[in-house]
Amino acid sequence: MTQFDSSWMAGWRTLVNENEVLGHVGKHLNADVLLEFGDTSYVVSFRKGQIVELEEGVSPETCWNFGLRGPADTWAKFCEDPPPPMYNDIWAMAHPLHGRLVFDGDVKVLWQNLRAFTWALDRMREVKG
Amino acid sequence: MAKIEPITGRYIYVPFEGTEYRIFFEEAGEGIPLLCLHTAGTDSREWRHQLCDPDINKHFRVIALDLPRHGKSIPPGDWYKETEEYKLTAHFYSGILMAFCEALGLENPVVMGSSMGGNICLHLALHHEKDLRALIAIEACDYSPGWHLDWLHNSQVHGGEACATSVFGLMAPQSPDEYRWETWWYYSQGGPGVFKGDLFFYSVDHDFRELADKLSGNVPMYLMTGVYDFACTPEMTEETAQKIKGSECIIMQEIGHFPMCENPEVFKKYLMPVLDKIRAQA
Repeated sequence: MTQFDSSWMAGWRTLVNENEVLGHVGKHLNADVLLEFGDTSYVVSFRKGQIVELEEGVSPETCWNFGLRGPADTWAKFCEDPPPPMYNDIWAMAHPLHGRLVFDGDVKVLWQNLRAFTWALDRMREVKG
Repeated sequence: MAKIEPITGRYIYVPFEGTEYRIFFEEAGEGIPLLCLHTAGTDSREWRHQLCDPDINKHFRVIALDLPRHGKSIPPGDWYKETEEYKLTAHFYSGILMAFCEALGLENPVVMGSSMGGNICLHLALHHEKDLRALIAIEACDYSPGWHLDWLHNSQVHGGEACATSVFGLMAPQSPDEYRWETWWYYSQGGPGVFKGDLFFYSVDHDFRELADKLSGNVPMYLMTGVYDFACTPEMTEETAQKIKGSECIIMQEIGHFPMCENPEVFKKYLMPVLDKIRAQA
């Protein structure tokens, strides 16, 4: 297993779906989210805060609501525990001063679900291996 | 015996440019007046640890106010008829602070503020240096763009949760969870559009890039920034400090944009030497 491969993502999915806080704060998180780690992309489908589908790769037929695009080494720093300054948060990485991450698509859905979604992403630091 | 904090809270009526503002403030201690300014969209609760700290309040009269529209300070009575969104300006911000000091009879206070409260210190230094003893500008720099966002006041987005979560990453992961989430709670309670309106000052109206080197240096200024502040990075503060005559720049490790409330113990290690210098100067 290497970081951001399908096994690693499956581990993250388990952590998200077993997280009891997310079961509460993610009640209204229903979105298909593109996560781009450099050359590797996934569409992560959240329903009521649970990841119900994890699809690797993007095709001309792929639909998603909003996306987060960034280099793999940026995401790797985000996943460190503790993460270094400027990499500890998606808005930190996407802020115009830094530009390490791009918010894409219907970002209104991101802002509507910011608390639950960032809580889910923070579980990436708990993935073993 | 019940555990009761030394903080007392009162309301003062402050006239400013034809309007009388009912302003809430908390205070504790005696000595040199130390006026503490909250960050954008929140209120005086951010300073509760410093207000209660005997090492601070035995030498300083620590005062923390809620700006109009924040915390317990109500907006002007006709706010509901406003035809434009709220935008905090440097003119109003510095003016209401000096009017508050005058109304409360504070003589040559030290002003200590964080984020927008740090940025306003530069304006106070430019326009009111004779009335001030020292300035402690926390998480401040000459220009901090990028935060005046519509998403922070949008009827389709929960303002409290969006505003609070947008600032959460400004805090260091090393700061205690309890205090980081307490800060999140403060942010979740701001009035609609207030955080965004404050950020008009923070990211738009505050532009000191051509003014920082015009400050005389007559009023001591301490600039303190945490390494996890991605809105005003240590480098941005250091560059600003290099322009301001006689200023001292202090970079704080393992802390972010809200030192006073995200990690009061770490902040205290950096703050006490500054307060000691100010006392020695007095």
